[in-house]
Amino acid sequence: MTKLNKVHTALATTLGILAAALALFPFYWMVRTAVAPAEGLTTTGLSLIPVEFDFSNFTRAWDKANLGQAMLNGIAVTLGILVLQLLTCIPAAYALSKFRFRGAGLILGLVLACLLIPHQATMIPTFVGLNLLGLGDTRLGLVLPFVTSAIGIFMLRQQMMAVPEAIMEAAETDGLGPLRTLVSVVVPISAPSIAAFSMLSIFTHWNDYLWPLLVARSPAIMTPPLSLAIFQNADTGFDYPALAAAAAIVTAPVVILFLLAQRHFVRGMAGTEVAG
Amino acid sequence: MSLLTRSAAKVAAATPAPGGRTGKQAPTSGYSRPSLTPYLLLLPALAALLLFVYGPALLSLIGSFFVIPLSGGSWKYAGINNYLKVFADPLIHQAAWNTLVYSLATIIPSIVLGLLLALLMEKMGRGSWLAKTALILPMTANMVAMAVVFKWIFAFQGGFANQLLGIVGLAPVNWLDEADTSLFTVILLGLWRATSLCMLLFMAGLTTIPSSIHEATAVEGIRGFTKLRTVILPMLRPTVVFVTVLSITGAVQVFEIVNVMTKGGPLGSSETAMTAAHKVGFEYFRIGEASAISFILIALLLAVGIIGRPRRTKETP
Repeated sequence: MTKLNKVHTALATTLGILAAALALFPFYWMVRTAVAPAEGLTTTGLSLIPVEFDFSNFTRAWDKANLGQAMLNGIAVTLGILVLQLLTCIPAAYALSKFRFRGAGLILGLVLACLLIPHQATMIPTFVGLNLLGLGDTRLGLVLPFVTSAIGIFMLRQQMMAVPEAIMEAAETDGLGPLRTLVSVVVPISAPSIAAFSMLSIFTHWNDYLWPLLVARSPAIMTPPLSLAIFQNADTGFDYPALAAAAAIVTAPVVILFLLAQRHFVRGMAGTEVAG
Repeated sequence: MSLLTRSAAKVAAATPAPGGRTGKQAPTSGYSRPSLTPYLLLLPALAALLLFVYGPALLSLIGSFFVIPLSGGSWKYAGINNYLKVFADPLIHQAAWNTLVYSLATIIPSIVLGLLLALLMEKMGRGSWLAKTALILPMTANMVAMAVVFKWIFAFQGGFANQLLGIVGLAPVNWLDEADTSLFTVILLGLWRATSLCMLLFMAGLTTIPSSIHEATAVEGIRGFTKLRTVILPMLRPTVVFVTVLSITGAVQVFEIVNVMTKGGPLGSSETAMTAAHKVGFEYFRIGEASAISFILIALLLAVGIIGRPRRTKETP
């Protein structure tokens, strides 16, 4: 290591820390505001480092934004979507990676083309269709359009392609049928990708806003981002600590999941990459 | 979405275009006897994709020719009236212009910053994983929550941004309630998020460059900007294309941050295509017109996706 290299590394590290601080600042300011006393906030502003603490903002936010109900709804909808997506994506990926059949190329093309169809822009027509079916303002309506995921099929297929043919042959020789082979051989080997895709699905649907905004009219079925948006529309106007606390509560599950499982996640992604 | 696309980028770099074939694709053995099994395995997923992806895309086209009552009831054929109204609507004009400004102001800087940050992460010493984690976090953030936080940071009274202005002796700005600054403030949040996505995709792209390339360039004495321009960027080409396509579709479809921060206001100064479509459909109850806007957007973005779709690359071994 030359001196110049050391200077370079030091410079890069400094810039990296600066960028990281900018990336983290909104999260910090959210938490910092959430623990600040509510009085006089808008006249004096907040100091960078908290001096006084007030944790009652969280209970106020929880009650006023109806977050208890919303969090339960969010968990139900997110997990419901996840389970359905796994049930549809895993078999589809299996068929597209381990079987030879007429029309396989065409079907793969149909799946991949879905990746090009813009997600948000199709939500309004999807809602028009859902309304025709009479499923507006229902829990089922929140879940139904997401029963499968083109990106999920694609990711899992890439991973399953990497399952060696020798293992598939061995399973066949042992008398395992296609379904038994899927459940006891292919799924365990593909676990890293399945885990990575599951996290993606959870991130996407926990955070989704436009679709619940269109579908959920009654408070009983609202999801956390929607409840938060309504809470800030209501005349909470200047109760920033409660708003920040609500935002922190809505943000926390996904951020915690990401921090805990980051390593598995990266590994799962790496597996996908090798398969490509 | 981010991390998902990240893997897609990597794979995209190495796989052929949709529908293409490689030798790898067809298993040499296994369940290759003709049977119903693969079709049955595919049935639920395909039915759902036809119903909830292709269906809505088609429905937006059909719906755009009708007057549609939101409460149900029969549709009334309206010919190209919805399109005529959309193209004549000043709200839509402003939304189209703002979407263009938002897109240009977020896409280009986020791609450049994302690439620079990804390169920076490779140069950082110990603790780079911490910086990486911090820089990926905006991708997992709930954008409604972040819009609420940004609204507070840019609040006229007591907001952190105005506190900073006060320190350097400038007058406070009413960021979100002035037509001159509302779109700019929304752009800042969009940029914060988009940069994180771009960095992630570039980081993934950089890991696909084999270390032998780095060794070879070191031996040749190719360094710094020359290396970036002549070696790294050409090798990252598939990633760059992918990032660009994703950035365009993401920016053009921006919705929640505008909806929460400004509602498109004041006076439409931060209205974007999706917030306008939502307003037309669900505040003015002109679903047919909203379908027309949706269809125009879908067609435009589909064209972007098709032009930039992953292709078989020569560099891939």
